[in-house]
Amino acid sequence: MPIFSVYIINRAGGLIYQMDHHQPKTEVEKTFSFPLELQLKIVDERVVVAFGQRDGIKVGHTILAINGDAVHGRKLEDGRDILEVIANSENYPIAIKFGRPKLSTNERIMLASMFHSLYAIGSQLSPEQKSSGIQLLETDGFKLHCFQTLSGIKLIVLADPKQSGIENLLKKIYELYSDYALKNPFYSIDMPIRCELFDKNLQGLLDSYERSGFYSQGM
Amino acid sequence: MTIYNMYIFDRNGTCLFYQEWQRNKNSGMPQEEEFKLMYGLIFSIKSFISRMSPVDFYSNSKDGFTSFNTNYYKLHFFETPSGLKFVLNTSLNVDSLRDSLQYIYNSIYVEYVVKNPLCSLNSAIKSEIFKEKIDTYIRGLPAF
Amino acid sequence: MARQGGRATDPRKVSQELFTLTYGALVAQLIKDYEQDDEVNKQLDKIGFLFFACRGYNIGVRLIEDFLARSGIGRCNDFRETADVIAKNGFRMFLGITPQVTNWSAAGDEFSLIMDANPLADFVELPDDHNQLNYSNILCGVIRGALESVQMAVDVRFVQDILKGDNQTEIRVKFIKRLEDALPAGEE
Repeated sequence: MPIFSVYIINRAGGLIYQMDHHQPKTEVEKTFSFPLELQLKIVDERVVVAFGQRDGIKVGHTILAINGDAVHGRKLEDGRDILEVIANSENYPIAIKFGRPKLSTNERIMLASMFHSLYAIGSQLSPEQKSSGIQLLETDGFKLHCFQTLSGIKLIVLADPKQSGIENLLKKIYELYSDYALKNPFYSIDMPIRCELFDKNLQGLLDSYERSGFYSQGM
Repeated sequence: MTIYNMYIFDRNGTCLFYQEWQRNKNSGMPQEEEFKLMYGLIFSIKSFISRMSPVDFYSNSKDGFTSFNTNYYKLHFFETPSGLKFVLNTSLNVDSLRDSLQYIYNSIYVEYVVKNPLCSLNSAIKSEIFKEKIDTYIRGLPAF
Repeated sequence: MARQGGRATDPRKVSQELFTLTYGALVAQLIKDYEQDDEVNKQLDKIGFLFFACRGYNIGVRLIEDFLARSGIGRCNDFRETADVIAKNGFRMFLGITPQVTNWSAAGDEFSLIMDANPLADFVELPDDHNQLNYSNILCGVIRGALESVQMAVDVRFVQDILKGDNQTEIRVKFIKRLEDALPAGEE
């Protein structure tokens, strides 16, 4: 059962740590002839499939490469605009690689602060007194588990919906955080965590959870 | 088990329907503002999920967001392909209510709002029979 | 709309004849009111798409909810899929016919629905002075309204009509763009 990634957010909504553990493969490459039967649009300076889903290419996929050349934002490495290349019939047949884009650091920081506010609104709209914010977000493809420590740090794990025992895992991550980040004299609170020992131990912890499906209390 | 309240939004964010069965805390803002905030929350969660997701959605039956939990309540979410959004808040011990929300859409909304020519589809639902049917159905759920 | 095929005996459903006659009366009244065929075509399309605009009554938009509720079909992510669903599920469910999907454009953004029979026009003969009339133009509005509800802007028009002496009735559907979910004013 894959655990996808871990995020740690400080009290102000700033992202202070992020690790990708298991990234499912979504990339597909296909050769097309003119004209292209896909509707594309620009989202966040990326060329994304808006409509037209086939052969493993899904709506929401980004263009990652054209004829083997990597794509940067809307442009190819040689500076040509992707949409112009695709619109020109002389460039066909053309091989296009699609997939889910890897999030940039900036996007992750943005998403972290977004979750920080969603958490607060979830608490504000509660029909019941004294509710916390969002602790578990369920989707068809993954579950997001969030544990907020008493000091206001949010530990977030994205995992397969079927992976159990995440609550326990979050407590273990908290222990690692207090051991290898907080107890490290060179780490200042609320700042990004750059500690090799923390990385290493977290990696080991996630591996062991994945292997066992879930981990018993005994660890 | 408890069912607290329900919101129905159209795809422009207009709140078509709101009803509460039990509510122990108000959001501390005018109702109009609360509707906007709830729609904004749902909208942002969807956008958050589509960017954050490590896996693909967009297959026919899967549309991402289904529910969230806090330590006191659970928000159930269901959206039709036409963009109608159903939000139902319950206590934590309630299992997925997707089927129930689908039923409310199929058998109450479509029957008593869509097929009623006097009901507008993009403003608050005024039909008494619709309100009554929803109330009866919710009160009859095992989760109530 | 009335549904065909085995349902005529269901006492709760209107008969197809009553329905086609009612539609005929509607078209006849529009011709009286608007006189110009072009204008009548426009009105029929509007009725299908958005009738009684002030009340928001809209056949296509309403039909699609009924359709989604009963068919349990999810969101389409490909235009070919959309075409198939319109022909095999939509037309079948509401008109009792299954038009053929064909004449795809190279870019896959435009197709034709070919109907051998048209239940709306069963008893109709177009008078000579109304040779520009697209008698069943309401279907265009219905398709447009229905697809707009599932976030798809399309252009729909009649290119052939048996009533005008063509061999078959052909409706052309062209994809324009995907509509995004609207965010209410004052958010984000």
